[in-house]
Amino acid sequence: MMSQSPAFSLQGKVVIQFGGTGLLGPALIKALGEAGATVVVASRSRASLDSLVAQEGAAGRVIHAEEVDTHSEASLHALRDRIVAQHQRVDGIVYNAASRPMTSFSDNLSAWKESMATNATGFFAAIRTFGDVMAAQGSGSIVNIASQMGTIGMNPWLYEGTAMKAPPDYFFHKGGMINLTRYLASHYGTQGVRVNVVSPGGIFNVSKPQAPAFLERYGKMTMLGRMADPRELGGAVVFLLSDASTYITGANLPVDGGYTAK
Amino acid sequence: MKSWHSLEGKTIWVTGGAGYLGSAITRELDAHCAKVICFDLPGRAEALVREQKLTRTVPLALDFYDTAGLPAAIDTLVATHGLPDGVVHLVMASSSGKRLEVLTADEFQRTFDLALTPTFVLCRALAEKMKIRGSGSIILYSSMYGIVSPDPRIYHDPMAPNPIDYGASKAAVLQMSRYLAVHYGPAGIRFNCISPGPFPNPGVQKGHPGLIQDLNRKTALNRIGHNQEIVGPTLFLLTDSASYVTGHNLVVDGGWTSW
Repeated sequence: MMSQSPAFSLQGKVVIQFGGTGLLGPALIKALGEAGATVVVASRSRASLDSLVAQEGAAGRVIHAEEVDTHSEASLHALRDRIVAQHQRVDGIVYNAASRPMTSFSDNLSAWKESMATNATGFFAAIRTFGDVMAAQGSGSIVNIASQMGTIGMNPWLYEGTAMKAPPDYFFHKGGMINLTRYLASHYGTQGVRVNVVSPGGIFNVSKPQAPAFLERYGKMTMLGRMADPRELGGAVVFLLSDASTYITGANLPVDGGYTAK
Repeated sequence: MKSWHSLEGKTIWVTGGAGYLGSAITRELDAHCAKVICFDLPGRAEALVREQKLTRTVPLALDFYDTAGLPAAIDTLVATHGLPDGVVHLVMASSSGKRLEVLTADEFQRTFDLALTPTFVLCRALAEKMKIRGSGSIILYSSMYGIVSPDPRIYHDPMAPNPIDYGASKAAVLQMSRYLAVHYGPAGIRFNCISPGPFPNPGVQKGHPGLIQDLNRKTALNRIGHNQEIVGPTLFLLTDSASYVTGHNLVVDGGWTSW
C-alpha cells in the first residue's frame, strides 16, 4: 500500500457534516473518516444517527453525533459553542442536509414555505454561523452538496410510468445554493475560507432500487450509462475539503457521469 | 479497500511535464509510485529527472506538432512503455503574444494549428487504444481565458494583453474535452478539463509586480496560484476518486470566474 498523500488527507482536521442520513450522508461520513478527519455529524434527531454511529464505531472510526435545529439560529449557535469548546477549531463544513416537504407541483404552498425554512434559511444560517468561526481562525473549507437539478430543468420523460416525482422546490433551492456558494466564496475569500459546491447526479439506491424504467432512461442520459454509487461522491468532497484544492473556490464540481456535459 | 486516490502501479503520461505547471505534477506523480512518462522539449525532461532525482519517471522528447507522424510515434511509445492509464496533456498552450491590431491571419492560424489539431490527434489515438481495455482518464487544460475575456486594463504598456488567439484556442480545447467525454464515455474513458486561473511563472512574478497585484485583485482569494496548487486537482481527476466525473471543466482559479 502506498503512503497517503498529505495533500489529500484530512488528518487533524475537524469537519462538521450537516445531514447524516439519506442515500448520501453515511457514504460521505465514511469517506471523511477514512481520510482521517475528526467528524462531527449534526442532524435534526440524534436517534436517526444511532445506526451510523454504530457502523462507524464498528469500522474503528469515531464520529461525534450532535443534534441541531437549523430553523433556530440559537440552536446553531449552541452547536457552534459546543463544538468549539470540545474541538477548539472547525476546518471543514459539509452541508448535506435537505428536507423534502414537497411531494408534487400542486402541493399546498405551506409545503413550499416549510422547504424554504430549512433548505434556504436554515442553510444560510448554518453556513454563516460556522463560516464566521473559520473566518476568525483564518482558514477553512466549506463544501455544499447541491444537485444537477440546481443547474438543469426537470425532465418529465425520466419519470414517465413510475411513481417518482420531481417537486419544484428542490430545483429552486439547489439553484440558489450554487450561486450563494459563489457569493460566500467572495465574502470569505480574503479570510482564507474556501467555499465550493458539489452537484451530484442521481444516486442509485442499493437497498430500494429506483424503478427499472427510470434506471434505464437515466443511464442513457449520462455518459457512463449508470447512476452514481454513493461512494463515488466521497472523493470529490474530500478533495475540496483538503489542502489538495487550496486554489479552488467558488467552483461547482458536478459528479454526474457527464449528465450536464452534453 | 483500495485507497481512493491510489496511483500505485499506474502509468501516467505528462506532456509538457517539465514546464512550470507540468514539473509540479510530474514530481508528485513520481512520488506516488506511478510510472511517469514525462514529455518535453529536448533536454528539459531529462534535466527535471536529474535535478529532482526522480526515480519512476522516464524523460522523453516528442514532436507533438508533427500530426502526420504522431499516430505511429504513439504506437511505438505504447509498445515500449505500455498503454497509459492516465494522460495529463499540457502541450497545447500557444499564444501569438500579439496585440489584436497587428495580429496577422497566419499568426492567428498558427496558434490554432499548434493547440488544437495535435491535441485531437493525440487524444483519439490514445482513446482508441484505451477503448479496447475499457478504461482511462485524460485531462486537457484550458484557462480562465477560455471562459472569460482578459481585462485589458490590467495589462500595462509595454505588455500586450493576453491575445485573442490564446483565449479562443483555450475555449476550443474546453469544448473538445466535452465532445471527447461524450464520445468515449460508453467505452469507460473519462475526459475532463482543468481551467487554471492566474499561475504566472516565477519569471513573470519577478518581472511584473504591478501585474501580479492586479491578478491578485481579480480573485476571491486575493492571490495568484502557485504551481503545486494544480497538482491536487490533476491527481483527483486522474484517479478512481473521480470515477463518476467526466465532461467537466474544473476551474482552479481562486474564484476568478465566480464573480
